[in-house]
Amino acid sequence: MLRKNKMLFGAALFLAGLFVTGCGKEANDGKTVIELLHYKPEAVGYFEEVEKKFNETHDTIELKISSPNDAMTVLKTRLIREDNPDIIGIGGDYNYSNFIDAGILMDVSDFDGLDNIKQNYLEINENLEFVPTDGIYGVPYMANAAGILYNRDMFLEYGWQIPETWDELISLCEEIKAAGKLPFYMGYKDTWTCLSPWNSAASSLADSTVCKDVNRGLTTFSEQYRVVAEQMKTLLKYGPKDFAAYSYNDACTAFARGESAMFMIGSYAVPQIKSVNPDINIDSFVYPAASEKGENYLTSGIDLQFCIMEDCENKEAAYEVLRFLLEDENVQAYMDNQNAVPCKKGDFTLVSMLDGMKEYIKEGKVMDFQDHFYPAEMAAEALIQTYLLDGDTDKFLKRFDAEWARYNRDLIKKVQKYEAEHREGEGQ
Amino acid sequence: MKKNGKSRTFLLITIPIVALFFLFNTLPLIQGVVYSFTNFRGYGSYDWVGLRNYIDLFGDSRVGNSYLFTFKLAVVTTIIVNVLSLLLAMALNSRIKFKNTLRGLYFLPNVLGGLVVGYIFNYFFTYILPELAKLMGFEGNSMLANSKTAWLAIAIVCAWQSIAMNTIIYISGLQTVPEDVYEAGSLDGATGWSKFRLLTFPLIFPFFTINLVLCMKNFLMVFDQIMSLTKGGPAQSTESISYLIYNNGMSGGQFGFQSANAVLFFVVIVVISVAQMTFLGKKEEQL
Amino acid sequence: MMVKQKEGTEMLRDKKEKSNIGLTVILIFGLITIAFPLYMAVVIAFKQPSEMTNSISGILSLPAKWSLDNFREAMRVTDFWHSLANSLFITLATIALSIVVHSLIGYVLGRSKAKSKFYNVIYLYLVSGMFVPFAILMMPLVKQTAKIGLSNMFGVILLYTVFYLPMNTMLYSGYLKNLPLALEEAACVDGASTWRTFWTIIFPNMRPMHATVAILTALGTWNDVMTPLVIMSGDKNTLPLAQLNFQSQFGTNYNLAFASYLLALLPIVAFYIICQKQIIAGVANGAVK
Repeated sequence: MLRKNKMLFGAALFLAGLFVTGCGKEANDGKTVIELLHYKPEAVGYFEEVEKKFNETHDTIELKISSPNDAMTVLKTRLIREDNPDIIGIGGDYNYSNFIDAGILMDVSDFDGLDNIKQNYLEINENLEFVPTDGIYGVPYMANAAGILYNRDMFLEYGWQIPETWDELISLCEEIKAAGKLPFYMGYKDTWTCLSPWNSAASSLADSTVCKDVNRGLTTFSEQYRVVAEQMKTLLKYGPKDFAAYSYNDACTAFARGESAMFMIGSYAVPQIKSVNPDINIDSFVYPAASEKGENYLTSGIDLQFCIMEDCENKEAAYEVLRFLLEDENVQAYMDNQNAVPCKKGDFTLVSMLDGMKEYIKEGKVMDFQDHFYPAEMAAEALIQTYLLDGDTDKFLKRFDAEWARYNRDLIKKVQKYEAEHREGEGQ
Repeated sequence: MKKNGKSRTFLLITIPIVALFFLFNTLPLIQGVVYSFTNFRGYGSYDWVGLRNYIDLFGDSRVGNSYLFTFKLAVVTTIIVNVLSLLLAMALNSRIKFKNTLRGLYFLPNVLGGLVVGYIFNYFFTYILPELAKLMGFEGNSMLANSKTAWLAIAIVCAWQSIAMNTIIYISGLQTVPEDVYEAGSLDGATGWSKFRLLTFPLIFPFFTINLVLCMKNFLMVFDQIMSLTKGGPAQSTESISYLIYNNGMSGGQFGFQSANAVLFFVVIVVISVAQMTFLGKKEEQL
Repeated sequence: MMVKQKEGTEMLRDKKEKSNIGLTVILIFGLITIAFPLYMAVVIAFKQPSEMTNSISGILSLPAKWSLDNFREAMRVTDFWHSLANSLFITLATIALSIVVHSLIGYVLGRSKAKSKFYNVIYLYLVSGMFVPFAILMMPLVKQTAKIGLSNMFGVILLYTVFYLPMNTMLYSGYLKNLPLALEEAACVDGASTWRTFWTIIFPNMRPMHATVAILTALGTWNDVMTPLVIMSGDKNTLPLAQLNFQSQFGTNYNLAFASYLLALLPIVAFYIICQKQIIAGVANGAVK
């Protein structure tokens, strides 16, 4: 009897607890709390360091940085919950475009730090807006570069040369094969890895504005992507036999162990590869998609930028955090930590594995990733994987156009409406 | 007076519990239906789009494929699981040594988490099975890398885990079959297959019903195994309905559209369960 | 294929004499299908990355040295003790709440639904909740739980209690048929209130069903990924959730990964070994009712 009462009491207490813990999260000690959520869990070490340093030097602001895994899902769930962080660190991609469109980002045009950001990255951001706006919604921090990573020691040992055209790449692959080595490893079981060579090829082969032009009804993907698709198919010959069997992690491991000479992936993969084999000597070169030397572009986009949420109550404090992150010392620390390319003007030291891409970065011969314009729910990467598995280029391109129209229906309507209004405006 | 006290207590118990149920089951269900008429992304502003999401559902090849895949998986796995667990139940219920130990060991997979089991099998399918196949002179490709075989790999993992539960249910069914039924049967000369078909099976039919309904419902909602084995690939061939709703609704920007998909999925589950139970109920009466 | 419901000592002796050895052997061999994946997991979990080869003999061979390093590292990376504590808390609280709440409503409905149209409608309303797939509730629930500050373990517990309500109500009200009305009527005559009668007479008598409910609820909640994933994402980890994160970060180190998977399986396997008889009986009981 006593036991039962205890149990009931416990249950009641428990239920009461449910509702009490519900409210009253805020514990305020006079400091302004700024929460920064970013999508780079691999850079958690850097961010922990920055958090500590910031809080040591600031008395009125407390910076809290969260680095969750699968951050985009976490972020979106939090948006659904209306539990927004103050600053988000995201890529310059379709999510960013969507966030601007949904009106959840703050206009930061008056942020003084923008003067020190390279112009071409601000333009990339502007280009990502569905329809042109007057505001600036993101502060570009780091860019990445995607191309082909190669095992420098292996290349030296066999005397292989860096290819500069598509034909040279193919003959290099043949040469590597003849030497009994595997040219590429592929982790296409994780569909997103298909996008790396795809983006690289498209940078040199398709117009940079192809997605926007399709929305305006000026061109089709069937026209623009045919060669890109065919190159991807050709390269399968030089990868592992069962190319869709291995994940990104498997591929990184295999490349790290010298099972292939090259790996078509972004510079972000280097820390992962080095975690398996710290001694590997990696360099990279630009994917040579063009048939003429000098016509290739480096694929580079905004890998990390900071946006302030529209409902952030302490804009000045948030700016202070951004200023701190943009201090030269912190920028360089991030670059060293993540092999990234800075978006800030100034004299920074690039890591050695970007040696092969230095010239392109300096000359600004860069093109944004095409997939930054693809809606996530369209799953373009899965379409590409499907195509690689069945090999039917015509079917794939037709499907790409059809799916694009289906998933971007509202957007296309919006863009065309804007165009119509804009044209009228010009006429008047 | 006392009667009044009783009915008052009953009401006092019922009302808060029903309210809780309404709040966390019915209300979100209604909300889900409401979202299904919008183009909500999950954040920001949204518009009403009327029936467009529902019309789109029927023209969307990805949604169509996810239904085909999920049904194929559910039906095939249900059959595999029921045949194997009925056999296993009969074996475990006959006169064998170490009966309890064997039963205990065969039930083990059922207590293991689907996600972790998926990860373990993922390694098995990627690295071990191809090597085994090569040893036996086949081409050693990963089952998970081929859109024709990936669903079968998922079916195997699902079956591996759920055979246990169904076996236990069949065993408890077999234990309700009284001895004298067999004695009467053997007098009539019933043996082997005909004994099973004419005597055992009709008597355990209610358990067959439970297992069938349970299996179908569970496999139609398959999620963990997809998440851990294929993430919907290769070539989008293993996107289950739940996975698509989660993936495109939560991570992608299709909150509204996937809400419509979820509503459709709900209707489908209800229709199938009701149909199954009516059909099997009728059979039960016939037997 | 002779079956007895109750086996006397005589029968037992009879059974021993006629044990089907052939079938026993087949069944023991069949265990390979259960044991092989687990054996593989154990062996890999103990090996070092350098011992990994893709040949069959390499996969099956025992590790060179039985070291717990992988386990130690995996425990550190997944914050094992905290995840375990969270999982335990969620599961135990859900069980406790389910037994109390569901037996109450099961009792009320079981006793009233035949006589009262009102209670019959309530019964059907609650039980029909069984058909609602989580997928449709998921997104609205994320919003709703957040609004009332329940994007945490308490929210998950509350949701589980609601999810399992339909099935458990059915089980409890079904089991009530085994308890004669005379039991409570006698208490009633003695002047005990309905509330008191329930706790002193009905609740203890429903013990076998409590076990079943506890086990079915535990199996469902312990391994569930989806609910904690969407409701408390970013807050705290449960044991399965920790594996999900672990996979995306360290999936490449299979030795570490498998050590971590085994650690995630260990608690439930231990529980199963201890309570094996009750679990199997409980599951069977749930199906029969």
